[in-house]
Amino acid sequence: MKRFIQHEELARDSRFVRQDNAQSTVLAAMPDDVDTVVSMFEQFSEMIEESVRGTSAEPLFEAYGPGFALTILNEPLDPDAPQGLTRLLLRMHGIFVGEMQALEGAARSLFDFPDAPWEFKMNMARQCWDEARHVQIFEKLLIHLGGHVGMFPESTFLFECACSEDPAMRVAGVNRGLEGLACDVFRDMIKYAEKTGDEKMRQAVDYVLADELTHVRFGSEWVREFTKGDPEYHKRTQDYRRTVDKQFSFGGARSDRPDAAIPIAWDDRLEAGFTEEELKELAELSGGGPSRETLREAADILRDRYFAKRDAKAAARTEGAQS
Amino acid sequence: MSEQRMYPGMSPDEKTTFAPYSAFDIPADLRELTGRYDVESMALRVRNFRYAEEWLMMMLGGWIATIPELPVKTGLGKVIWECAQAADVLGLRLPELRCGKKAMDASQSANDAFSDFIKSVTEPERPDLTIEKLAGVIDVLMPHQVDVYEQTMRETDQICDAPTIELLEDIVRKRRRHIKWGQEVLDRLCDTDALRERRRVRVEQLNAELMKSGGVTGTLAEDRGVLN
Repeated sequence: MKRFIQHEELARDSRFVRQDNAQSTVLAAMPDDVDTVVSMFEQFSEMIEESVRGTSAEPLFEAYGPGFALTILNEPLDPDAPQGLTRLLLRMHGIFVGEMQALEGAARSLFDFPDAPWEFKMNMARQCWDEARHVQIFEKLLIHLGGHVGMFPESTFLFECACSEDPAMRVAGVNRGLEGLACDVFRDMIKYAEKTGDEKMRQAVDYVLADELTHVRFGSEWVREFTKGDPEYHKRTQDYRRTVDKQFSFGGARSDRPDAAIPIAWDDRLEAGFTEEELKELAELSGGGPSRETLREAADILRDRYFAKRDAKAAARTEGAQS
Repeated sequence: MSEQRMYPGMSPDEKTTFAPYSAFDIPADLRELTGRYDVESMALRVRNFRYAEEWLMMMLGGWIATIPELPVKTGLGKVIWECAQAADVLGLRLPELRCGKKAMDASQSANDAFSDFIKSVTEPERPDLTIEKLAGVIDVLMPHQVDVYEQTMRETDQICDAPTIELLEDIVRKRRRHIKWGQEVLDRLCDTDALRERRRVRVEQLNAELMKSGGVTGTLAEDRGVLN
């Protein structure tokens, strides 16, 4: 078996559909400018349409056009909002595949770094069991909410961004970047479950969040240990973590801005071992994307253009049939 | 009436009158102080066992991302953690067997042939090879580990080496659960004659390699002699 695999090599059963990771990369790098956001999404329109075909995201594409992700990722979850359940399921499915990639990332760390200290392997092995349970938990929650595995395309963006071939960077990416994002998302899900009175979801996600704090701690300790006595290596690792954090902020959707869909879970992150300084830095780097207003405006333009194009195509078809 | 002596004095007539029984003698311990392995050879066996447990943990970790069947992915998560715990307790036993404090993460293959056998078990990589992956571990390596651990528990000194027995008992209990789970998965996966044949061929090939290596301790042939 070879060491280090690419995200395309993550094995899935026949229920799954892949989404091109370019969309997530673009989302992470968008400026606060309506025209640029519109032009970037129009560029990917066909790719997005292709990836949602036959999935539960197809009606969203039909309703909002290629910019539907802007209305999903960048708006807080609201049970009373239009398409509220679909948006909840899309987020739940995203968490489910994220947990699967976290399991795969932790498990690969055992095989990819055979010479790592034994305590590191013990931590990663424990994380494998935790992540495996998380996959089961979110599969059950998905079904509890009326969804099913494979109902939306899977982006392997998390694995691609977080799984470096360097052990310190791997734990910085997976355990601090990905698991830190998990802390933010899960705190938000707990609040949502409290709001809707879903005790099953609240309790299950609360247990998962407790595990994630431990995983972030593993990351904090091993980054320190792997880079001990090498300030330059430590700096490179921190830079890598910043890049991952920026990518995982989805253009400000996860940030400390008042209009963020997923706020940074300060208290949980502090308990997990992030420092105040790191969190301030995260707030700064994640808040730089387009504002919610920009995204809403861009989403409206994208929807109108999509409808216009669709209507024009339909009219051309009718005309062709008549002639 | 003279007062009962509570504690022995310095001369024979100053002994206490307590009967020579203690909780440890009831019921009487009839075990003999005898065992096939001395401290050094048991330490070597523990290092051999640890080698297999550590590699098992690592190869399963490598495979999770390459296995498409979701329940297998998640099921292996727990097996990995229990293999890690097994390797860990075996390592903790090493300093107690006079290997020094730094020996806790010392794993040792019995010989090159056993390392080659582990490499062969680890080899399948593609997502369409779940049967080959699991058959090597579930049908060959794990049952072999259970056999050797149980033989070690039977043959080592039951009193002197009781800590090794205790930890192996726990590992065997969990390993039997892994095998039961894995065999159910394999039976389900191998639902045609052609797939059952793939499993059989893989098992046959790896069993031959395992026998040739002498197993996890490299002593299968002589162990069989002892058992006969």
